[in-house]
Amino acid sequence: MNTPDMRSLIDELAEDSAPVLPMRKGRGLGQALAAFVVTVAVVLVLLGVRAGLMEGEFSAFFVVTNLLLLLLGIACTLAVVAMASPRVGAEHDGPRWAMVMAAVIPVAGVVALAGHAGPVPYHWDEPLCVLFGLIAAVIAGSVQFRWLKHGAPVSPERAGLLLGTGAGALGTVAYGLSCPFNSVIHLGLWHAAPVIVAALVGRFVLARFLRW
Amino acid sequence: MVAPVTGDEATLARLMRAAQAGDRRAYTALLEEVARWLRRYFRRRIAPERIDDLVQDVLVSLHTKRATYDPARAFFPWLAAIARYRWLDHLRADYRGRTSELREDSAAEDSDEDVVIARVSLDRLFEKLPPTQAEVIELVRIEGCSIAEASERTGQSQSLVKVNIHRGLKKLSALVEKAN
Repeated sequence: MNTPDMRSLIDELAEDSAPVLPMRKGRGLGQALAAFVVTVAVVLVLLGVRAGLMEGEFSAFFVVTNLLLLLLGIACTLAVVAMASPRVGAEHDGPRWAMVMAAVIPVAGVVALAGHAGPVPYHWDEPLCVLFGLIAAVIAGSVQFRWLKHGAPVSPERAGLLLGTGAGALGTVAYGLSCPFNSVIHLGLWHAAPVIVAALVGRFVLARFLRW
Repeated sequence: MVAPVTGDEATLARLMRAAQAGDRRAYTALLEEVARWLRRYFRRRIAPERIDDLVQDVLVSLHTKRATYDPARAFFPWLAAIARYRWLDHLRADYRGRTSELREDSAAEDSDEDVVIARVSLDRLFEKLPPTQAEVIELVRIEGCSIAEASERTGQSQSLVKVNIHRGLKKLSALVEKAN
């Protein structure tokens, strides 16, 4: 039996029963895909495509790095979109495996750095990859952040972590189409860094804005 | 005229879809049934005098987040996730007042929906906690014991009681959608 207070609340809520558009997964994924396409377009228009990309002039590690990051970005995006509509029984375990696989990238970078004989090759603009990767991540992740903000994530910390990781990975992939470097050391360090930074920002900063 | 509502999954999912489309009568019927369901859901997992507050919080959350229900999915797991989230908020809230002894809610009746409740229940969450954490959360945050009383009853030091409550609530937060 509902109390008078409860009755009154129900009446007030029902009074405000304006139609709402259900947050279907397909719509969220469509928006995330559109944001990624826009990110790629912005990178290519502003920074240009890397030399030799169309001719296949890139290292195998360049391909592996970007495919692993793309996989990580997709796995995180799928989880983030799903987390906006919570349900008991949801697992969201895909990103965990994608993270383990993507961890190969920085590990390879560190191993290559440690095993490098002689002075480590370094170009002054290599750290810019971190900056550009993060800027691209903001474009790729803003739509997902908005989706989560409108949604009802019941684990805001995890949602923030996956949002940051996914946006960082997708942003780095987009920027990677413009980056001229091929080496394991460069890709393993400067292209893993934006993902890690974005993940930390998502977990410790953005998560606070996802509480409801 | 809305037909009398039974709180089964199919009926509530249908009402929720209608509510998302702006059907006020369906929404009223849904909220009434959900309020009844929530009272049973929170039974023995929150002090009796706090149940109404908690149920009202969940109803408001359901209202503000009603767009997040995906009509292609089941209703109860969605509702239970929101209910758990708000329940954890209440457990986290500073709660020092003593409460009356937890008792059976005589108004609640068992039904077929108990099967659904069991599947998404709060007990399933507690089962995922180490017994030392679950025990002190129940004593302090649900029954309203002081830290000193919980320490005496469990044999844990007072600082350990606090640590276990903190760790337990943190773990519960990460398990809201799990423990199915």
